[in-house]
Amino acid sequence: MSALADTFSTFIAGQSGARSARVIDFDKLSGGAIQDNFGLTLELEGGTRPGIQEFVVRQDAPSGVAESLSRPQEFRVLEAAFKAGVTTPEPLWLCEDTEISGQVFYVMTRAAGSASPRKLVKADFTEEQRRNIVRRLGAELARLHTVKPPQESLQFLALPDSDNPALSRVALYRRYLEEIGEPHPVLEWALNWLEDHAPEPGPTVLCHCDFRTGNYMMDDDQLTAVLDWEFAAWSDPCEDLGWLCCRSWRFGRDDREAGGIGDKQDLLDGYREVSGVGLDPAAVSYWEVMALVRWAMIALQQAGRHMSGEQRSLELALTGRMVAQMEIDLLNQIEELEDGR
Amino acid sequence: MINQPESRDLLTEARQVLLDSVAPELAGERKYQALMIANAMGMAIRELEQREQGEPEETDQTVRAFLAERSLAVTSEEAEPALARVIRERGLDGADPALRAVLRRLTEARLRINNPGYLKP
Repeated sequence: MSALADTFSTFIAGQSGARSARVIDFDKLSGGAIQDNFGLTLELEGGTRPGIQEFVVRQDAPSGVAESLSRPQEFRVLEAAFKAGVTTPEPLWLCEDTEISGQVFYVMTRAAGSASPRKLVKADFTEEQRRNIVRRLGAELARLHTVKPPQESLQFLALPDSDNPALSRVALYRRYLEEIGEPHPVLEWALNWLEDHAPEPGPTVLCHCDFRTGNYMMDDDQLTAVLDWEFAAWSDPCEDLGWLCCRSWRFGRDDREAGGIGDKQDLLDGYREVSGVGLDPAAVSYWEVMALVRWAMIALQQAGRHMSGEQRSLELALTGRMVAQMEIDLLNQIEELEDGR
Repeated sequence: MINQPESRDLLTEARQVLLDSVAPELAGERKYQALMIANAMGMAIRELEQREQGEPEETDQTVRAFLAERSLAVTSEEAEPALARVIRERGLDGADPALRAVLRRLTEARLRINNPGYLKP
């Protein structure tokens, strides 16, 4: 571990032009089956970032699986989001030379607080604090969604292969289900519903695609960083809002539609305040249904990685057994939408 | 022949020891792992219980009867893959309350094993 700390420390000193760097603290951070995240506190002498500095180094885990963006791609997305004014860690330096640590990695600033969803959902916030947090989440997404294709630095992100990102998703998930092989009548039924009820697409924008409680850092009631950009894609703005509001990410607080924290209307209001765009709540509800299907697909694929022997893991195996939860939520939610509840 | 106590009893007792005596002594990642193990054992126990109560054959029969009523005979194929295929091919009306009841039945059967707490009371 300490050899790795020295490796990163030397790299950072070189990049920042510091005369010397002393490691004060180094630890592996929790979260991320595909990436390793390390917290590294350095005392730097001279250079562009002198003094005591807290960094996060993110690199592929040795068993890394290329199902999402590569670290260099993620770094470019993070740069684009940071430039657009989204509250993210500041992306600092990318190292593509695997001679240095054995893996591709990048360095960013470390945000204060915690991303723990349970802690956040259970927090004793006032109604006003909840409103402010949720409006802030809407504002962050509005800033991110100002990034539109084409972007020179984001050419690796494929554009949706039809005019309607929702229908592209439906086609993609049908292919996934076919590959998985296990029969899932409820998911097939939900995909038909999604195909038949696709709303008019919004503009194609840069979406985070994993924007949910647990993937942003909070320091008390202040958002300090939006994390985990490896699923970013060009898509419909409502996909990000729908994912945040999806029942699976309310962590037991089903009554608080926006991430288990607050009201969906506040999310839409926060979004409108920054973007001037009033999103259709019905379109967000539609993308919540899509989110349940997508999460079910991810869970099935994770279980598949376990069963194929690619990555034997109790956690992945148990995730596969969660699919029935998404399926009952789909049955309930689609019926509620039809009843206009 | 299988010795007594039978496997469901063994699993139940082992899970209880894990939860009552082992897990409270653990913290952090190890505690999380112990709870995951207890969760997996709980699923295996409930799956054995459901088998004793005639599953998954009973649910399979329900699906089979539903398809047969719509002249969608299931031959060698198991009923659930047949249902999934017919839905994908748009051979059924997605709004049909009987279809939704069958889908619910299938899902609830899985939840009784995987996560009974998620079923509505």
